[in-house]
Amino acid sequence: MAEKEKMKKIGDILLNNAMYIIIALAVVYITIMRPKFLGLSSIVNVLSLTAAKLPIALGIGGCIVLTGTDISAGRVVGLTACISASLLTTTFKVFPNMTSPAALPLVLLLVIGVGAAVGFVNGFSVAKFKLHPFIVTLSTQLIVYGIILIYLMNGVNNGQTLSGLTDGYRSFVTGALFTIGGVAVPKYVLYAVLLTALMWVIWNKTTFGKNMFAVGSNEEAANVSGVNVSRTIIMVFMLAGIMYGLTGFLDSARIASANANTGLNYECDAIAACVIGGVSFVGGIGRISGIVVGVLLLQIIFAGLTFLAVDPNLLYIIKGLIILTACAIDMRKYLVRK
Amino acid sequence: MKKFLSILLALCLMASLAACGGTDTGATAGGEGGGSSSGDADVAVFYYTYGDTYISSVRTALDAALDAAGVKYQDYDSNNSQTTQTEQVTTALTQGAKVLVVNLVDTGSDDAAKNIIQQANGVPVIFFNRSVSEEAVTSSGTNVFVGTDYEMAGHMQGELIGNYLLENYDALDLNKDGTISYVMFKGQEGNAEADARTQYGQEDADKILTDAGKPALSFYDSANTNKYLVDQTGAWSSAAASDYMQTILSQYSEANGNMVELIIANNDEMAVGAIAALQNAGYNKEGATVIPVFGVDATDAAKDAIAAGNMIGTIKQDAEGMANTIATIAGNFLNSKDTFEGVEPANIVGTWRVNIPYGTYTGE
Repeated sequence: MAEKEKMKKIGDILLNNAMYIIIALAVVYITIMRPKFLGLSSIVNVLSLTAAKLPIALGIGGCIVLTGTDISAGRVVGLTACISASLLTTTFKVFPNMTSPAALPLVLLLVIGVGAAVGFVNGFSVAKFKLHPFIVTLSTQLIVYGIILIYLMNGVNNGQTLSGLTDGYRSFVTGALFTIGGVAVPKYVLYAVLLTALMWVIWNKTTFGKNMFAVGSNEEAANVSGVNVSRTIIMVFMLAGIMYGLTGFLDSARIASANANTGLNYECDAIAACVIGGVSFVGGIGRISGIVVGVLLLQIIFAGLTFLAVDPNLLYIIKGLIILTACAIDMRKYLVRK
Repeated sequence: MKKFLSILLALCLMASLAACGGTDTGATAGGEGGGSSSGDADVAVFYYTYGDTYISSVRTALDAALDAAGVKYQDYDSNNSQTTQTEQVTTALTQGAKVLVVNLVDTGSDDAAKNIIQQANGVPVIFFNRSVSEEAVTSSGTNVFVGTDYEMAGHMQGELIGNYLLENYDALDLNKDGTISYVMFKGQEGNAEADARTQYGQEDADKILTDAGKPALSFYDSANTNKYLVDQTGAWSSAAASDYMQTILSQYSEANGNMVELIIANNDEMAVGAIAALQNAGYNKEGATVIPVFGVDATDAAKDAIAAGNMIGTIKQDAEGMANTIATIAGNFLNSKDTFEGVEPANIVGTWRVNIPYGTYTGE
């Protein structure tokens, strides 16, 4: 009997840490096949890819904690990327009357504002009209895409890709933070770390964070115990919008251009990363560290399969299997607790 | 509170309606006689997506050409979905369109094109840009295809690359091993243009090299039997090329003696994305080693990169030439003239097709 208990316990530990085990196995396998995968420059590559995709996932995580989702995320990234690229440029196509690039902090505030505004519309509609977030954000996704297309036709741009970004803007995002062993670590890694820390504090150390989890696990109970449910929902979506805005700001400089396709489907990877990292659609459950692990795993797979020169068609299958597994394990935990 | 909300909602609705009314006229490129949604448009134009940079330049040029000709038209965004496009065609036909101008979404088979021709039932269809086979175009009625000889872009890119490599061979062979290693960025799987560009961009360059006694290009990663990296989302996007390139650069560099020495991209978006990653790694900027990058389309972003010396060359698709030809043929259909009246005879292929020539662009 004791033997059986022990086996069950080991099994539980394995299952509860399945994602870490999968990451470890993947890294070991890829490294055996391609030893350079654990080289310094490769590690920096995976870390910076992770940093680039982290802010949007951190934003969307909050929406999932509320048992919701946000599929407008990618288009908000696209819009704010286009706004950044049109203002911090040396070729003024969207605004032909401009003569010098806008001030960087101003643009930063602007993208935060735009992201927050879309987030407010999302949150307000969810909280006040009691609509499902999927429907609300589907609507805003379409609206924002329309705005992107109109924005890109503005001035003399004619829907072209925006480029010619100023050196100041590009180096602010992609410039070397520090160099180790001849490998430069880009600055946006630092920004991602700061945002992660900020989100950790918000989620774990503030009343707002605690309210978010309360609303996510049981809206009625939260309401009864005096939590302002509507305000919490609106703030979660606004915070998410701000994260998308920052992602757009960083992505435009990282890719050195922005167009109507920028940000397309970004929310899919972000939602997948959250789910892999244990942010549950059941609501009220999720950790920042989980999101980081989820994003990291997806990037390890991307970089690893490129290293292995695996047929890209398999990437879809592998991703799908991992998401399915992650959700199944997550639900199992939940069922046990119940 | 409830009352306040409903008033707010009503205001929102009104504001959005007003906004729609405003943008409608703007988006269809105005001008007096410019297409409006009143259902009296003679020409209906279907774009596979408004999100495509090159197609946007065709749209701007075609709107201008049709405005100039005083033709009433309406533009549709098929948003990369053949279902949407086919439904839009049905709607336009019931509204009484006399000529359809179709930038087909699904180029994988003839069925979508044939279906549209069947629905048109005698209304002439001008297909453009995305390739449609002769069999489909001539299946019934009077239809034409205005495109490019899509294989040409790949051939011209290959030739441009081959000649550029020969001229600068020793300087480009960074590790002095005698061969040039390259990476190929493919825009999408299952697209005839992407397939042709991926194949000929490299084959034709190889031919020029081997004819001159140099070894053929070698793909940077011998384990990759595809010999290309493809955008997983099929969007020919700069972000995909940038992520791939960043990952490649974490493994391959000048210091390791295995640096990728040539970058071929199916389009300029991907070329520009690759350049961004190269720049982040300290290449392709002032005073640094420039890895030659080649694209197709001659977008403004690519032209800027070429002017700055960060990119070598691209193949220019003539958006205005294509738009003017379409406008001319549409006018001929409306006025019951000969289909190809006023079209450059050298570009006409048989009775069904006009090819707009490509050009190489390496800066001016």
